[in-house]
Amino acid sequence: MKEKTTKKEAPSAGAAVESGTDKTAETAVASAKDNPAKPEAVKEEMIHLIVFKLGAEEYGIKIDQVKEVTVTPNVTRMPRTPDFIKGVANIRGDIIAIMDLEERFGIRPVPLAGDLNPHITYTLVIEAKEYSIGVIVREVPQSLNLSMTKIDKTPSFLQDINIHENYIEGIAKVNNRLIIVLDMYKILTQDEIRELKSN
Amino acid sequence: MKSREQEYKEIFIAEALEYFDALNRLISELEKRPQDDQVLAEIFRMLHNLKANAKAIGYLQISDVSHKLETAFGLIRNKELSFSDEVVGVLFDGIDLLGELIKSIDSERQVEVDPVLIRNLDIIVDSLSDSTVELAKVQKFSTSRNLTLSDLIYIQVKKLDHLMNLVGELIIDRDRILSLSRELDSDELKTVGSHLYRITEDLQYSVMDARLVSIGTLFNKFPRVVRDIATAEKKEIDLELSGQDIQIDRNILQIMTDSLLHLVRNAITHGIEKPEQRVRADKPKAGLLQLSARSDRESVVITLTDDGKGIDIGKVKNAAVAQQLVPADVAENLPDSEVYSFLFEPGFSLAKEVTEFSGRGVGLDVVKNAIDSIGGRIRIESEKGKGTSFILQLPTSIAVKGALLFEIDSIFYAIPLIHTDSVVALDKDELHEVGEVLVADIKGETVTVVYLDELLNVEESQMRLGDKTRLKGQVQNIIIVSYNNRKLGLIVDKLYRQQDIVVKPLSKPLDSIDLYGGVTLLGTGKVCLVLDVPAITRYFVNRR
Amino acid sequence: MKRILIVDDSFYMRTMLKNMLTDAGYEIVGEAPNGQTALELAKETNPDLITLDVILPDNTGLDVLKGIKAEQPDMKIVIVSAVGQEVIVNEALEYGALSYIVKPFSEEKVLEVVKKALDE
Repeated sequence: MKEKTTKKEAPSAGAAVESGTDKTAETAVASAKDNPAKPEAVKEEMIHLIVFKLGAEEYGIKIDQVKEVTVTPNVTRMPRTPDFIKGVANIRGDIIAIMDLEERFGIRPVPLAGDLNPHITYTLVIEAKEYSIGVIVREVPQSLNLSMTKIDKTPSFLQDINIHENYIEGIAKVNNRLIIVLDMYKILTQDEIRELKSN
Repeated sequence: MKSREQEYKEIFIAEALEYFDALNRLISELEKRPQDDQVLAEIFRMLHNLKANAKAIGYLQISDVSHKLETAFGLIRNKELSFSDEVVGVLFDGIDLLGELIKSIDSERQVEVDPVLIRNLDIIVDSLSDSTVELAKVQKFSTSRNLTLSDLIYIQVKKLDHLMNLVGELIIDRDRILSLSRELDSDELKTVGSHLYRITEDLQYSVMDARLVSIGTLFNKFPRVVRDIATAEKKEIDLELSGQDIQIDRNILQIMTDSLLHLVRNAITHGIEKPEQRVRADKPKAGLLQLSARSDRESVVITLTDDGKGIDIGKVKNAAVAQQLVPADVAENLPDSEVYSFLFEPGFSLAKEVTEFSGRGVGLDVVKNAIDSIGGRIRIESEKGKGTSFILQLPTSIAVKGALLFEIDSIFYAIPLIHTDSVVALDKDELHEVGEVLVADIKGETVTVVYLDELLNVEESQMRLGDKTRLKGQVQNIIIVSYNNRKLGLIVDKLYRQQDIVVKPLSKPLDSIDLYGGVTLLGTGKVCLVLDVPAITRYFVNRR
Repeated sequence: MKRILIVDDSFYMRTMLKNMLTDAGYEIVGEAPNGQTALELAKETNPDLITLDVILPDNTGLDVLKGIKAEQPDMKIVIVSAVGQEVIVNEALEYGALSYIVKPFSEEKVLEVVKKALDE
């Protein structure tokens, strides 16, 4: 039962993402047009990402790992948990942990653009195999469709980035944008769960 | 008390119903393959058992009908009776009748045995293949048959667990609706809300009730266990059981099974003396072990008492000091209840000196953990030379518990009532800085007190648990909790009412943080953290 | 304490026998609901006595009797059977069973037969 509902909700997650989608959808269409010569372009494997900002960079998560995107509800702080755990929130009756990836990865936050309300954040609800977790982002996440060929899996330059390369699926390059694609399932590894425990 | 007769009856019915179902399946198979010897042998065996069992327990109608059917199938097996349509009809009728009779054991309803059916059975058995005798039609079972289902169903505990969780969710939403109806001040909503309240409450108790089993189901296993252990230990033990009718949640009883067994084994092995020692000590030769249960408001209290040698408190103190659980000077003045609590420390042992609690199987810390996990309490009372009691206070049901709500630094918390002793308001001047902690005199007892805000929210390096200046305001609200026979006062910012809460376990990855027993949703939709008293106590002890 | 293995396909029967025998101070070393288990347990537990039901699901009681006697010729075996099985019972006695109990049995009868068999 539960799994069915989850699957139904997955597309609506994309729908919940705001108007910024339009532009990127166009991008996606344009990128498909780029290769009209190849007939197999139609069958080309596409990847659907939810894109958000951490610090100054753009990050993406595959949409099938995202259960929903919502305005962050009231988060109850949980004392004596690691700093990157912001607390727990009630999302449709489920109590889930809310995590700040900027703190988790030690990414320096950048000041928000002037027109954004600093009091409203968004939460991506990530559904991993055994549990759900919420990830806080400060700007409205966007939806982006792109060809798998746009994703560079070469991790050679990742040493400079402050994230364990294990979590990085690849780097997507679309129209001068660089999007770091994360594998959310690996964000909380067994080691870190243990670290939580010792706290 | 569930007597042995009652137990026999239940076993008989359960097994007979199994046979009945299997017979129906087998006879249908036999209809397709009349010559299948294996199927015939199976049918024969089941009827044979049914006959013997029914006769032993005294259900003579069942044994009589089984006997006739057994004879008939015996004839078929020996090819003395053909498996013709007419015969098959009678056999089916006979098996149906058996089913009716078995199912009627547990109901008031009397089954009227149709004489025609019995006669038909007699005919096929007695007249062998002589087909000149007409088999009369049996109306009741062949043409106007009703499908009757048993009034009793067996249900997987898992399904009841699921139901219980759903009720929990419903209660949370109900409370939310009630609080909305107050906020919106809508009379209509209030009416619906109060109706909803009554229904969910009824539902909750019904589901809880469906999960209850009598403690006797566990207690009645002990006479045998006690006998075996006593024999192995060459001791004489009289076991007295009481309160077997007390009801408790099936899962709680399941979790307690091993613990209770362990305590009983301990009592016999280490508590009760050998007969010759007892005689020397002027005690009856046979040791007395009493296992009792009683209801106490929302909990069930199980007490295991032996009249053995008791616990030597001095030796416990020495061992605790030797194992650096407590400084010698402190140990000297500890109340007995606190001294006994050392016995529950992981790895605690009285070494070779005293064997009362050394060795054998899991230690008392494992018992303690099991009880903690269901939110229960355990304490020890003992008198040297007279005996020892273990008193287990267990919740009747897992999901819903009474809790005390409070606030610290704008966060809502709850503590299950089973761990709270009392609530007091003390003036700041009544708290004293002693060493690194605060203490207060509460009803004549010196209790260590901790400011929860300090314990939970201040950087560990900056934490000063013995500093009164950290307190806000003059009057302090203190919840006295008790864990492992030790009392601890928790200073909270704001104290709210007592409330029934539905504890949701924390999901991964937070479930490994043991400071919290779970969370609950308040009527307002706010998340409330449920503090785990054992974990808080341990955390406090470690910080100190 | 004398050790007894109970072989019977009915849980009800096993429970009754077990209670009667343990109450009388015997130790029940095992319970077998079928022939295969009976043979295994007889070897494994090497009891002082076996109570054997002659009608079993996978094997006839007689085969079990022969099987045990082949491996453990001195094993004391008491047949438990219902009325109407006289033929099998007689055969069982020929194959070396010591005595028999007819179901339904009284506690006295069971204890009497068991005690006598053990004393032999």
